[in-house]
Order: sequence, then C-alpha cells, then structure tokens
Amino acid sequence: MESMFTPYAWLIPILPLLAFVVLLVLGKTNKTFGISFSIAAIFASFVLSLLIFWERLADNASNYVWDGWNWLEIGSFQISLGFEINNLNAMMLVIVTVVSLLVHIYSVGYMHDDERKTTFFSYIALFTFSMLGLVIAENIVQLFIFWELVGVCSFLLVGFWYFKPEAKAAAKKAFIVTRVGDLGFFIAILLLFTYLPEPSLSFTYISQVFTTDLVNQIPDHIQFWIALLIFVGAIGKSGQFPLHTWLPDAMEGPTPISALIHAATMVAAGVYLVARTYDVFLAAPGALEAVAIIGAFTAIFAAIIGVTQNDIKRVLAYSTVSQLGYMMMALGFGTKLALAAAMFHLLTHAFFKALLFLGAGSVIHSLHEQDIQKMGGAGRYMKVTTITFAIGALALSGIFPLSGFWSKDAILVEALHYQVIFFLVGSLAALFTAFYMTRLFCLVFLGEHKGKHKPHESPISMTLPLVVLAVLAVVAGFVYTPFIPWLATWLTGEEVGDHLSWTVIFVSSGAALAGIILGWLFYGKKAISADKVAASIPWLYKLSFNKFYIDELYQVAVVKPLKVVSYLLDRFDEYVVDGAVRLTAGATVWLGGVASRLQNGQIQLYVLVTIFGFIIFVLALIGRRFW
Amino acid sequence: MFENFPILSVITFSPLIGILILAFINRENGKWLRIVGIATTFIPLILTGILYSQFNKASSASQFTEHFTWLQFPLNLDGLRVESLTLEFNYSLGVDGFSLPLLLLTAFIVSMAAFASVNIKTRWKTFYILFLLLEIGILGVFLAKDLLMFFIFFELTLVPMFFLIGIWGYQNKERAANRFLIYNGLGSAIMLIAFLIIITTAGLTQVGDTANYIYTGSIDTIMQNLNDPNSYANTNVENNPSHLSEAMQTTVFIMLLIAFGIKLPIFPFHTWMLRVHAEAPPAVVMIHSGILLKMGAYGLVRFGVLLFPDHALNWAFVLAVLGAINIIYGAINAFSQSDFKLILAYSSISHMGIILIGLAAFNDIGFQGLIIQLISHGLISALMFLLVGSFYERTQTTAIDKLGGLAKAVPFMSAALLFAGMALLGLPSLSGFVGELLAFMALFEKYPIVTLISTLGIILAAAYVLRGVMKITFGPLDEQLQQQVKQDARLIEVIPMVSLMAFIILLGVYPSIVTDITQATVVDFLEQILSNGG
Repeated sequence: MESMFTPYAWLIPILPLLAFVVLLVLGKTNKTFGISFSIAAIFASFVLSLLIFWERLADNASNYVWDGWNWLEIGSFQISLGFEINNLNAMMLVIVTVVSLLVHIYSVGYMHDDERKTTFFSYIALFTFSMLGLVIAENIVQLFIFWELVGVCSFLLVGFWYFKPEAKAAAKKAFIVTRVGDLGFFIAILLLFTYLPEPSLSFTYISQVFTTDLVNQIPDHIQFWIALLIFVGAIGKSGQFPLHTWLPDAMEGPTPISALIHAATMVAAGVYLVARTYDVFLAAPGALEAVAIIGAFTAIFAAIIGVTQNDIKRVLAYSTVSQLGYMMMALGFGTKLALAAAMFHLLTHAFFKALLFLGAGSVIHSLHEQDIQKMGGAGRYMKVTTITFAIGALALSGIFPLSGFWSKDAILVEALHYQVIFFLVGSLAALFTAFYMTRLFCLVFLGEHKGKHKPHESPISMTLPLVVLAVLAVVAGFVYTPFIPWLATWLTGEEVGDHLSWTVIFVSSGAALAGIILGWLFYGKKAISADKVAASIPWLYKLSFNKFYIDELYQVAVVKPLKVVSYLLDRFDEYVVDGAVRLTAGATVWLGGVASRLQNGQIQLYVLVTIFGFIIFVLALIGRRFW
Repeated sequence: MFENFPILSVITFSPLIGILILAFINRENGKWLRIVGIATTFIPLILTGILYSQFNKASSASQFTEHFTWLQFPLNLDGLRVESLTLEFNYSLGVDGFSLPLLLLTAFIVSMAAFASVNIKTRWKTFYILFLLLEIGILGVFLAKDLLMFFIFFELTLVPMFFLIGIWGYQNKERAANRFLIYNGLGSAIMLIAFLIIITTAGLTQVGDTANYIYTGSIDTIMQNLNDPNSYANTNVENNPSHLSEAMQTTVFIMLLIAFGIKLPIFPFHTWMLRVHAEAPPAVVMIHSGILLKMGAYGLVRFGVLLFPDHALNWAFVLAVLGAINIIYGAINAFSQSDFKLILAYSSISHMGIILIGLAAFNDIGFQGLIIQLISHGLISALMFLLVGSFYERTQTTAIDKLGGLAKAVPFMSAALLFAGMALLGLPSLSGFVGELLAFMALFEKYPIVTLISTLGIILAAAYVLRGVMKITFGPLDEQLQQQVKQDARLIEVIPMVSLMAFIILLGVYPSIVTDITQATVVDFLEQILSNGG
C-alpha cells in the first residue's frame, strides 16, 4: 500500500513547536487565542498520528526513513535530522499525542486562575514537540538531542512555580540526577561512534550491525558497555533505582505535568530507548540481565515505599517508578515477546496512570490539599472523579478485565518463562501495588470529610479527559490478550503462539485481590490498625517511610564531598596557584629593590660587583669546557 | 568582487572612522558619543558579512590576500659571502576558513558589546575610542599573515584593555588591570622571543637564485621553509646560524604553548583572567571572554601546531591531559564560587579545556569541534556577561547569596539568563553541545580514559550553572530586591540579548553553517600536520 500520510510525519512534532512559538510571541497579548491555537495544533498532530498508525496496520508496511537534511557533515561522517516511522514509534506517537491532547484540555480548567498560564501552555507545547521528536528520531544523536530537550522541559515545568523553594530544589535535582544518566547515554554514543564499522549513527545502521556478522567487529566487552550505558541513560530518565530519587520530588510541578511528563510519556522514554535499541541489547546478554535485575528490584522497591507515603502525588510517583521497573524487567528477558509485553504495559500504563494523576489533580484542585491523611469523603462530592479514579486504580492493580490486567499478565507470563524468581517478585509487587492503591482510594474518597473546603466536582474541561482516559484504561487491554495477541504480532512481526497461562492469571489476580482486601481491612473497614502494624515492625516502616534513606546517602556520598573538594580546590587556586604568581611578582619587586639599592654612587661597591661578576664569568667559561 | 580592493585592510581599520568622528564630539555629549560608538561597530560587521558572502568555501587557501613589503633593514654582511642580507617585515593580510568564523564572531560580539556599554556612566569619549582601538587590534590578529604584524596587533589589544579595565572596572580595577598587563606582557615577551627565533632561522630565504637573502616574518614562507628538508633551518651543517635544531624547535613550541596558554588560559596560568572577569566592566568582559581568550587558541593552532606539527603531535597527550585538567578543575572550582562573575570565569576555563581536547585529537572532527566551541563559547559568554551587566545595573551586586527570585521582578532577563545557562551547560539544540560532542567523539578513540574523565564536566557543568542561575532567578524574592529591581530589560538591552540568543540557537540547530566554511581549511591543516609531522 502506498503510504499517504507517513511522509508527513515530521508535521507531528512541528505543529506543537509552532504552537510554542505562537504562545511565546502572542501569549502575553492574546491568551485565549494562544491556548486555543496550541490545542488545535496538538489535535492536528493527534489526527495525523492516528492516520499514520492506521497506515501501519496494513500488512508488511515497511519502515519509512527520511534523512534528507544534514545537521552536521564532517568528511565521511554525517548526522542527519530526519525521521523514521515504524510500528513501534507509530504506537508511541498515538500514546503521546492522545495523552498530551487530553492534558492540554485538562489544563484549561486546572490552570484557569494562574496568571502565567500561557507560559505553562508554551512549556507543554515545547515538551510535546520534543517528546514527539524523540519518538520519530532517525538516528541516535538526534534522539539524544530530543532526550535532553524533554529533560529541560521537565525541568521548566517542575520548577514552574519558581518562587517555591521546594519547586526550585526539585527542578534542580530532576535536571542534575537525570544528567548523570544522560552522561551514560552520551558515552554509549561515543562508543558506538568509535566502534561501529562505518561512521554512521542511524538506527537502521545500528540495527543492521547488531543483527548481522558485522557485530563481530566490535569487541564483546564493548558490546556489553554500549548496551549497559544506553541503559544507564534509561535508568536516569525512567527513574530506575538508583537514580529514581528525582521523580517523586518532581511532583512539585503542576499536576497535569505529572500526568503527562512524569507518568505517561517522558519517563517512559527510557523504556522506549531500550526498545528502540533492542538489537544492541540482544547482542549483550550481560546487559540484558542487568536490565531485568534493576527493573525487578525497582518494581518491588518503589512499591514498598509507596505503601507508607502520605502525599497523594508521591504515592502515584512511586507507583510510576515501580511500574516502569516492571517494563524494564520485561525488556531484560530478551525476547521479542517480552519487548511486546513491555511496550504493551507502557501503553496501558500511560492511560491509567495519566488518569490517576489527573484524578488526583482534580482532588487537589478541589480540596487544596495533598496530604491523604487529611483527606476523606471526597467520593460523595466528586462523582466523576471518584468513579474514574476507581477505574484507574483497579486497572493499575491488575483487575480483570481492565487494561492493567492484560499487560501485567503479559509480562508475568514472560517472567515465568524466563526465571521463576522474576515472576514471584512481579507478583509480590502487584500485591503491594493493589494494597497502596486501595489505601489511597480509601483515605481520599471514603470515610468522613475532614478539611475546611467543601469539595466540589471539577469543571467539564477537567472531567472530560478523565472520562476519556477511563474508557481507554478499560479497553486498551484488549489489543493484546492471550487469546488474541494482536499487538505482539504486529509489533514483533512474528506469529505469536499460544501463551495463555492459567497459573499466571490465578496468581496475579490473587495477588491483586489480596492487596485490595488487605487494604480494605486496614483503611476501609479499619479492622486492622495500620499504626499498630507499623509499630510492630518499626525498622521496616521507617525504612519505607524515609524512602530507604537514598537521598541522605547521596547527600553524604556525593553532594557533601563535592562541596568539600570544591572548597579545597578554591583555596588551592587562591593560595597555591595564585600564591605562586604573587610570590614570583613579589620576588621580582624585591630583586628590583636590591638592585636599585646597589646603585648608591660608591665606586668601591661597583668595583666589587664587577670583580664578582668577572669571577662568575671566568668560572662559567671553565665550566663549559668540562660539560 | 574585491580583485583590487584591499577589503581586509578596510575591515581592520574601519573603526578608525569612528575614532576620528568621536574625536570631534564634545566629551559631555554622551548621547552622540554612544550613537557614534555603537554605529561604528556596524561598519566592520557589515563588511565582514559581505566578505562572508564572497568567501570561497571550497578553497583552503588564504583569500583576499594583501601583501607588500613594509620595512626593510639591510644587515651587516661582515664575514658572510652573500650579496645582501635584509631583515624584512611585510604588511600581509589574508583570511581562510579558520580565521573567517573568528572574524565574523569578533565583528558581531563587538557590536553587541557596544550596546552593552550603555551601562558605562563616565568618560564615554575615551571609552569608545579605546573600545574601537581594541576592535582594530583583534581584527588584525585574525587577519595577520606575518609574525611581526600578528605581534603588533596582539599588543594593540593589550593597551586598550588595560585602560578599559583600569578606568571603568569595579572596586579593585587598578590591581586587576596591572595584573592583566604584566601577565599578558610576560606572555607577549615569550611569544616575541619565540617569533624572533623563528624569523632568524626558518625566516631565512634566498631570493630567487641570486646571492640576496632575506629574513622574513611571512607565515607562508616560514611554513614552507620548515617543511622543506633542504631549507636553511633544516640543514644541520657547521657554521649555519640559521639551523633550527630539534631541541630548539621543542623549546620554541613550548614557548608558544606557554605564551598562548596564558591567553587561553591553560591551568595553571589562569589566575589573571579571574580578576579580569571579576573587575572589568561587563561590556569589556564580553569582548575579553568572548573573543580575546580565543586569540590564545587561534595562536596556538596557527603557530604552535601548524609550524611545529611533529612536536604538536608528540605533545598530543599532554594537550589532552591539560584539556581534561582545565575542564574538571574549572568546573569544580566554579561550583563553590559565591560571585556569579567568578562562576562564569571558572566556567570559561572549563570550556577552554574542550578546545584543547578537540585539538589533541588531531582529526577533522576534533578540529571542527574546536572551531565550533570557539564560536559557541564566544556567543554564550558574551550573552552571559551582557546579562551580568544588566543585572548588576539593577541590583548593584553579583554575589549570588544576595540575589534570589528575580524571575518575578525581571522575567525577560531571567528567562534569558536561564537560556544562557542552558547553552553554557551544553544543552543539545544550542551551540554549546555541538563543540562538546565533536571534541569528545574525536578524542575518544585516541585517549578513551582522558575523554571519559573529561565528560564528567557535563554533569559538573549542570551543577554549577543551575546553582548560580537558579539562585539568582528562582526562589522567593525578598523585599529589598523587589524595591530595587523594577524595570525589565530595555529595548537597547533586548536587541543584543535576542541577537545573541538567535545565533546560539542557529549554531545549535544548524552547525553546518560553520563547518561549511571551515571544512576545506581543516582538511588542509590536517594534511599539513599529519604529512609533515608524521
């Protein structure tokens, strides 16, 4: 089939960029026009993404690559700015544009009273542009460029309320911590450039090298490091242990941002990166193992922290970290099906986590409160928010037949095929997930209302996206069920055999139900006192509540030493380096003083100096002979 | 278009027009002094723009050359069996792919700095005269094709700088000016000695087949002689005073490395520039940090590397290590500074390290990285100090502990500062990234460990930039500052800010605009270095 829309895929990121420029130039003078324009632009991007996705549905649609524009050309080495459309990123385009569109609409209500709302809209337009650019990037340098740009947008939006010291600190942390990961990614690019047989960095070429005999030209340990360092980049961006600390803090940003950037799209870019360069990983089993282990550890680790947090958004943030760990774990299994499962979970997670964040935003908007211990009874006043939030929570917990059930199931089946331990860790994480979501739901929506503000339902611009996302959270799972594994077939291009596993379905559903029931007993029915349980295992509670002291560890191990070294070097520069300069200058002045004092007009002294000089001269002449 | 027209001389000396006009304006007439001062800088800017449009990108040779003999001294012939021996200096200008981008940068930054000098409050007349003299010196440095010419133009930048710092600087201006003059004077002295050694050895040339000989400072001739195994400089026979022995070559190379290393600056010769950054008026620092430091890199490549390629190649590892030290030492020091100007000063040291990294690779990617980094850092540091000037004018301080939350009071300037910070920390899509990427890519194959250590600078840069920038613009705004800082950037400040930002984006999004000009020259340089040094 002739592709009609795919050649215009470059328009998808360009339209939001245009919106950014319009907002930047006209935003201050004509707020309504600017915002409407940007929504229209992202809507157009969304439609175009859908059309391209539809084109990709055709059988044997080949990848479309356009690299006609040279960004940089030095000798035989060139980097182009272009785009590539394949099944993987066609799906990502739809996810990003749909969530971005809904968040745009939602923000109209959420940011209604903020006087800098056009700035806000310009930032999310810029973010959408960067994220879409990342998705369709044709080569790895281009991806890195957009990778950094989404990082900056995240930084700007986390620090949107720049006057709040917490927002300032969080933005700074988000930028610097992810930059540590970015350095890994950067070095991976250096390695690729150095070791690839030809000086090309396009994904097509990288794939070609790593899937053919050409790969033998790269030493094994270098293959390992390339894959591992790419993964380090993904660790930073996707908030994986040990670089996860920035993501919960990033919740200082406005809530629509948390939904868009820190739940659905940017943080998933790490997963996408690994998927995009999967051929590199498949060539390096050691690195794949690292991906699986880090992912699994993050999944359970963050879920444990999520249980004790009291800020509604932070609970969701840890949940995001945990779910991203899930996806990473799946990628680490190293099969095409696992890749499909990870991307499937990315898809469903984008919808239900965005839904949960926007729902939380709706609650915060109404209550002006983020501490769940101070909330309660919102369910009675906010019907739409409550129902949609419940759907999101159930989807996240993995309850049949919502989308989360299917995607979690797909991952767990692969885990069972890979190693049982990963299956067990995954199931345990699912139990914790269901538990903290129930806790959250009970504390916020059930019980008695505690605050001063009387809750009210949010405006239509906010509830409409909730409803749309809730529908998606319900139905998105049916694209890939054990019975009709359509997505897997489409993504991997291979026939997928029967992978129905009743064990997995029973265990994962059991874990989810157990989590929900436990949560209900603790926080709904209050049959068991949470405080008492916490008091009985104080060390575990403390570890979880204090997030395993990772932040404190970084303070002691990295930040403080850097400050000390920096201070010492500053003193060194002042006293040793500049001291030497001053000493030289001082010595020169002193010598000049001595020399000028010699000229006191006394002939005797002059003669003495002359004789002295003559002796030195003679000695030098004699010495030269023997040298 | 310029067959018989001395376009390069016209460009170099065009600021004289402004100096002449300024001489006739009353020194109290600040408005007109400023208008003339700013307007004059546009003459070389437009002319270099035209030059750019006429430049043949495919050629690596010097273009638009002008050459005539300027001074001739007949030398003593006692004991020599020659007909005549002359010491000759040439007036010789030319532009190639390496100097053109720097020429464009100079003309552009000087214009932007001229806008920034509206913050100067006293003695406008002297200020603009010195300012324009400084421009002549810099333009000449990048165009000179003769060692003595280069030296004279190089010195010509020192004198106006000395007064510009000493008269219009901050509290400790006199000391900073003295330190600047003495330290740079020392560097110049070393450079002069090195040049004289080169002229009296490699400069000795036979005129045709006659028995007439000249000592010349012409760079082309000297390069030819150094590369010619039969030249006098390379003939090791008894009684040949013009023989440049291997040891002597090393000495001269080291002298040039130190002379230009002071200017660049290379650790540990950097302390003078900290004071200049801290004490000189912002408009002057824009030129100093934006262009003058680049003269060090330019000289190092043009003379150190191109004249002594085999030594440069032998020293590649040392250059790489010096680069890494500059990057890390500068970045860590920048992290603890409390004066924003000093953060930027140390950051300059760090960024100049990337230039050494690019150079040490000795391949086309490294060279291109070096040139892009020169241009990019010129633009970014100019923007930074432009902003420093505008902020200082409103807050009367650059101590970051006394500042905070200014995004509320001056949103445009704060956004510009954040932009500049992002460019400084090497955000992709802005110019700073390209140079870093190319330099590290180029060196990695040769010295992976040094490169890896240097890349830590990427994280450190984020740390010190955000610490400085966010302290100034983020956080709550205290009341005293709120009272003090009322007005956001005025039009005369916005124009240079936006122009600089535009070019930083342009270079980041489309770096080919520079590499197109430089590629032919870079390839030619490498051919010379590798064939003569290998």
